[in-house]
Amino acid sequence: MLSKSAARAFFVGGTALCSLAFIGLTVDTIGRIPAQTHEENLTPAVIRGKNLWDESNCMGCHTLLGEGAYYAPELTRVYERRGPEFIAAMLRDPAAMYPGARRMEQYDFTDEEIADLVAFLAWVNEMDLNGFPAPPTLASAAAPSASSTSPVASGAGRPRVFEQMCVACHAIDGRGGSVGPALDGVADRVEPDFFERWLRDPAAVRPGTAMPRLPLSDAQLAELVAFLSQQHTEGAE
Amino acid sequence: MKYESQRVAWYFFATCMLLFSLQIVYGFIMGFAHAGHDVLHEWIPFHTARATHTNLLVMWLLAGFMGAAYFIVPEEADRELYWPKLAYVQWAALVIVGVTAVIGFHFGWWEGRKFLEIPRPLDYLVVVDVLAFVINIGMTIWKGRRVTTTSSVLFFGLLMAAVLYLPGMIPTDNQTMDSYWRWWVVHLWVEGVWELIMGGILSYLLIKLTGMDREIVEKWLYVIVGLTFLSGILGTGHHYYFIGTPRYWLMIGGIFSALEPLAFLGMAMYAITIARRGGRQHPNRTALAWTVGCGVISFVGAGFLGFAHTIPQVNLYTHGTLVTAMHGHMAFWGAYAMLVLAIIAYATPALTGRRLHDRPAATFAFWTSNIGMIAMTLALAVAGVTQVVLERRVGMEFLDVQREIEMHFWGLIMAAALFTLGIGAYIWNFVQHGWPKGELEGGEGQPRQEIAKQPASDDAAAVPAE
Ligand code: HEC
Ligand code: HEC
Ligand code: HEM
Ligand code: HEM
Ligand SMILES: [Fe+2]
Repeated sequence: MLSKSAARAFFVGGTALCSLAFIGLTVDTIGRIPAQTHEENLTPAVIRGKNLWDESNCMGCHTLLGEGAYYAPELTRVYERRGPEFIAAMLRDPAAMYPGARRMEQYDFTDEEIADLVAFLAWVNEMDLNGFPAPPTLASAAAPSASSTSPVASGAGRPRVFEQMCVACHAIDGRGGSVGPALDGVADRVEPDFFERWLRDPAAVRPGTAMPRLPLSDAQLAELVAFLSQQHTEGAE
Repeated sequence: MKYESQRVAWYFFATCMLLFSLQIVYGFIMGFAHAGHDVLHEWIPFHTARATHTNLLVMWLLAGFMGAAYFIVPEEADRELYWPKLAYVQWAALVIVGVTAVIGFHFGWWEGRKFLEIPRPLDYLVVVDVLAFVINIGMTIWKGRRVTTTSSVLFFGLLMAAVLYLPGMIPTDNQTMDSYWRWWVVHLWVEGVWELIMGGILSYLLIKLTGMDREIVEKWLYVIVGLTFLSGILGTGHHYYFIGTPRYWLMIGGIFSALEPLAFLGMAMYAITIARRGGRQHPNRTALAWTVGCGVISFVGAGFLGFAHTIPQVNLYTHGTLVTAMHGHMAFWGAYAMLVLAIIAYATPALTGRRLHDRPAATFAFWTSNIGMIAMTLALAVAGVTQVVLERRVGMEFLDVQREIEMHFWGLIMAAALFTLGIGAYIWNFVQHGWPKGELEGGEGQPRQEIAKQPASDDAAAVPAE
């Protein structure tokens, strides 16, 4: 039968061994983190952004690196997903970007502070996270209209700015947000010159609309108008 | 109760009751927000409610551990506390720091780091306060008439909990390092040194409640805490899968954290076996129910539900979803909330001198709160799994998924209402016991229990039931 002193030896020995191994691994990990997180890109703006992130307790609603609260979207790859203009617009006036949805905190950031937070999120976006977040493996099953034989099930041929800003509110091919109407076949519904007027200032076209005026460059605008004009329902193409 | 200075424990326990009630209020605020009714947004936005909910939880658990130590250690060491007055000062300081922190959260005075939101200046006060506590307990044991394994394990757990608060204060500009150190506090607390505290308190309760031979109880205590550290220390790796740390953590964290449930299984078997085999029928059956319940529910919440998402291939999809919240609730409830409620249920009759532990309210509290918590866990599980499938596997937008699962939060709210009813009964029972005016041992003419199996080595015979 196990004696008490043997049990104590098991406890003390096991703990000492594991602690040593853990400290050794920690030293090794600390040596590797700079490369894996691209510490060379840790500019003063990024650091200011991190401090703002902490002071504002964004983690009290969002997750970053999968850590935080479960009330608002994961932000690890938000820079890639939405792009800098969308994030900046979001931080200036969250209610405009997601009218009627769950409430984000309305902060009074200056333009520099917004730039710092965007720089921070851009830096996080570059980290090597061992495969997180994983691509949604069942995505094609849910959106049968997106041909699963094409190399990229969604997004093929769409302007980058569309993938970042517009899908937050609009669905296309069965994927995307539900704040605005789905844009499949939108070119059948409206006049050809509608798109440019609409994107320059939605409120001027339909007063009181929930679609915000988005920060788009002329080049992005032209790209979007060309893309939207091709959105006829299948068969009509 | 044998010593005058044990009385201070009551003040800690009363603080627990108060902070716990407040914690629940903030839980409801978040539950309603998730269900689509963020009505208090202007005054208490979600991140304020969350910081308050979780920090109140940690504070009342720590207050409970401190109260437990002040109650247990004098009896184990066979002497009064070394500095009885310091214990009261330390209690008052803890309350002041806690209240300041919670009020600060409502004005944006915080560090946005999950579970460690308490701002830096208050961190230092916490450290000083905890140091005063640990030194007082340490001196009591050191100068005591005997040093038992139970009290040394308890002391070591408390000391390490204090020491491990420090890595959370290491300054860094790199978000990954920030996370790395944050887990030294959060994980090494709940899956490491707090389990020592848990083991210590459980073994004290089991010895007192069942009259089991101290040698046997304490031998298994070593085995269990040995298992805890063997798996739990390197098990920290299950938080280092996807935060910008090397890939080898997937292997190390996966293997060692998969072994962590063993410690909790040990804890559950330990409680059940001793409760069944113990020779003595202590009249406080409610305390025994909480003690055994703690062992069992901690195995379900921490062991089983922790295991469910600790394998890297699973965690890749569940990481940072409501699945984590599901596990967090039941694990904290089973392992630490029930533990504190067990020691309070045991100590209150002794501290107050009124034996109301067998009132219907006490039994009602145990069953209702546990059924409520199991239902809450189920509601969060359904919401969490649905979220994982729709958002992480199918690729739907976050907010659309949240609308899909809104109704499960109504389920959560109903289950939480049941839970709250149970906790209400518990607090009512505590309040009915009144002030800590219990007389010292023997004064009340309480019959001394006859011990069936007379342990050769122990004090069980010398110490009456309470
Ligand atoms: C009170 C909770 C709350 C806090 C605090 C908060 N957010 Fe949000 N955030 C949300 C919610 C909810 C959404 C989803 C959109 C909506 O409903 O408005 C969101 C959306 C976002 C988005 C767009 C994400 C996407 O996928 O479209 C970004 C970017 C963002 N928040 C950044 C931040 C930053 C940076 C901070 C801290 C400075 C912050 N948020 C603090 C609740 C919050
Ligand atoms: C914040 C959410 C939001 C964003 C971001 C957004 N939209 Fe919209 N959009 C809406 C809403 C809401 C409507 C419906 C407006 C109405 O009818 O008043 C709409 C309507 C439209 C329409 C008219 C559709 C129809 O059938 O009448 C088009 C075209 C359109 N959006 C294109 C875009 C493009 C292109 C982008 C990206 C640059 C974009 N939207 C970004 C919310 C958004
Ligand atoms: C009493 C013991 C435990 C408590 C109180 C507890 C509590 C928690 C809490 C609160 C979190 C969220 C932490 C955060 O994101 O900051 C968490 C995460 C986690 N826990 Fe536990 N836990 C316990 C034991 C365990 C055990 C034994 C296992 C494994 C077998 C486990 C596996 C996990 C995993 C994998 C995560 C990460 C979830 C994610 O990726 O989002 N836990 N736990
Ligand atoms: C009784 C009513 C309660 C309700 C309605 C409630 C609800 C909630 C909600 C909605 C969250 C936030 C999840 C998110 O980030 O979106 C949360 C977090 C949390 N609650 Fe509760 N809660 C209650 C009681 C408790 C109790 C009794 C405990 C502990 C024993 C507890 C421990 C926690 C923990 C540890 C977290 C953080 C979880 C994580 O980050 O993974 N709660 N709670
Ligand atoms: Fe952990």
